[in-house]
Amino acid sequence: MSVKYIPVQWNSNKWKYNAIMLASVFVYLLIFIELTPGIMDNEGRINTQVHNARAFGSCAFFMLSVILCIGPLARLDRRFLPLLYNRRHFGVMTAFVAITHAGYIVDWYFAFSKSNKYEALLFANTSFSQVSGFPFEVFGIFALLCLIILAATSHDFWLKFLSPPVWKSIHYLIYAAYIAVIAHVSLGILQDQQNHVFTLTFVAAGLCVAILHLLAALHERKHGDAAGDTSGDWIAVCNISEMNEGFANIVTLSGGERVAVFLHQGKLSAISNACAHQNGPLGEGKIIQCLVTCPWHGFQYDVTNGRSPAPFTEMVPTYRVKLVGDQVMIDPDANPPGTFVEPVPMPITEGA
Amino acid sequence: MSKSDAPFFVGYLNIPKGLKGFLLKVSLLLFFGFTAGALLAGATQDDPGQAGFRFDFGRQTVEGVIQAKPYPLLHVTKGNERIEIGETLMLTGQGKSGAMASIAALEGTVIEATGILLNRGELRMLQLLGGNRGFKSLETDGPVPASESLGTWRLQGEICDGKCLAGAMQPGRGLAHKACANLCLIGDIPPVFVSSQPIDGEEYFLVGSVEGGSLSAAAYDYVGNFVEIEAALERQGDLMVLKLDPKRIKVIR
Repeated sequence: MSVKYIPVQWNSNKWKYNAIMLASVFVYLLIFIELTPGIMDNEGRINTQVHNARAFGSCAFFMLSVILCIGPLARLDRRFLPLLYNRRHFGVMTAFVAITHAGYIVDWYFAFSKSNKYEALLFANTSFSQVSGFPFEVFGIFALLCLIILAATSHDFWLKFLSPPVWKSIHYLIYAAYIAVIAHVSLGILQDQQNHVFTLTFVAAGLCVAILHLLAALHERKHGDAAGDTSGDWIAVCNISEMNEGFANIVTLSGGERVAVFLHQGKLSAISNACAHQNGPLGEGKIIQCLVTCPWHGFQYDVTNGRSPAPFTEMVPTYRVKLVGDQVMIDPDANPPGTFVEPVPMPITEGA
Repeated sequence: MSKSDAPFFVGYLNIPKGLKGFLLKVSLLLFFGFTAGALLAGATQDDPGQAGFRFDFGRQTVEGVIQAKPYPLLHVTKGNERIEIGETLMLTGQGKSGAMASIAALEGTVIEATGILLNRGELRMLQLLGGNRGFKSLETDGPVPASESLGTWRLQGEICDGKCLAGAMQPGRGLAHKACANLCLIGDIPPVFVSSQPIDGEEYFLVGSVEGGSLSAAAYDYVGNFVEIEAALERQGDLMVLKLDPKRIKVIR
């Protein structure tokens, strides 16, 4: 959370996150570039530029695969949520690794001619009408542009400037980029492979991403938030016995919006489930020091008015709550962000 | 574990005790996963074969008669310890530029050529030194060996750019290299067909058009693919030359 924009708000967890990520990337590149030429029992020597391009290209692919696995893993098992926390740095690093891959390719395969190397990249192969021999470079260019856009707009300034829904929509480009990378590799290097070990690791990584997304979608369908009963003006959320102190129950409205109803100090309050930062699921968060805390990046809100504590300025909509017997109900008409709503006391149960 | 018992991570607070062990395992998995990925992807790359610039031979200077079409060739008349008299060398310029522009006017004359050899097995090419240092006209005419027709052949293989194939790039063939190969062909680098079945012991054939000139640009779509071609074959000096009509190319895969 911030009241002013600074490049990175470092904390010890971000340092640890980046250290692990950079160590993994560093060891990958070090082994690929420095160690494997000595391991290979080849007659001929692969050009250093091609070897390096492959090292950075494959590293970017595996990084992208890991990034795309984090979301569904966190849906399936909340213990993976810390991996989500600093995923943007992982993404920015991936963009730099991918740019380096592109640099090696352009400065090798497309250099040394009388034409401009960037123009040559576009005109050298124009066999667009065939699958085998298709100019797979265009998929790489597209993926790289996506990664650059995502990296360039990753800062919270852009998030606030574009608004979280727009920013989130733009950042779904990561899926387009991944599909483009799959096409880029499949129509390029895989076409020439005699040894299929890389092909198998490539397919395994792609399948891992696809299967985890499928499992997360199935999990969401099975354990997802209940759709509210919309028979009346008020929406039924749950029975009061299902409420836990410091946590929320989430209900989905007919328009698709989600509302998180929290129980805090024996009283019920409802706020939008979407965090003002990155639309994180507030209802999956927890009340810490009287404030709803987002499980993604720790943004906090007063549960009674949806406002972040001063000096922060983030706000989310609030909803009216009432009890009908044992049933927790909410008014589906959202209040403007930051509107105070008097919390509704839970009935005191016998023996309590 | 109930919702209230589950450890809750907040980035700017200390990691909950219940998560530390799990996150350590995930970190190790990531690190060793990348280590294994590098070994698997890096150490199993295909062998590009023995080829390349023969800088170890040093500069080669030989004399010979220039044949400009389909691509610049040098029929060696005065060789050295590396290049024998009677050998027909494909010539190329620097980078992705052929020798056509500088050599074409010297058709049928004797020159002294200086450059660096590239070779992949029996495929040999001489990259002329840059500028005017690569050749010197000796201002005498010489005989270009008569071409010998070897009939029409149906062959399977790959159309490559001869320079990358000869080792300027490693690997220098295949579909991943197609754009680079096309760029070389656009720059008048001699194209070479690599046949899956040798003819008379030869598996590398210079490729030109049916009319005897450069390969038609229509054939560039097939570069890097495994194709079947039907073409007239000629021997020019000790070099085999295919006269290829792009309409006679069929993609096998």
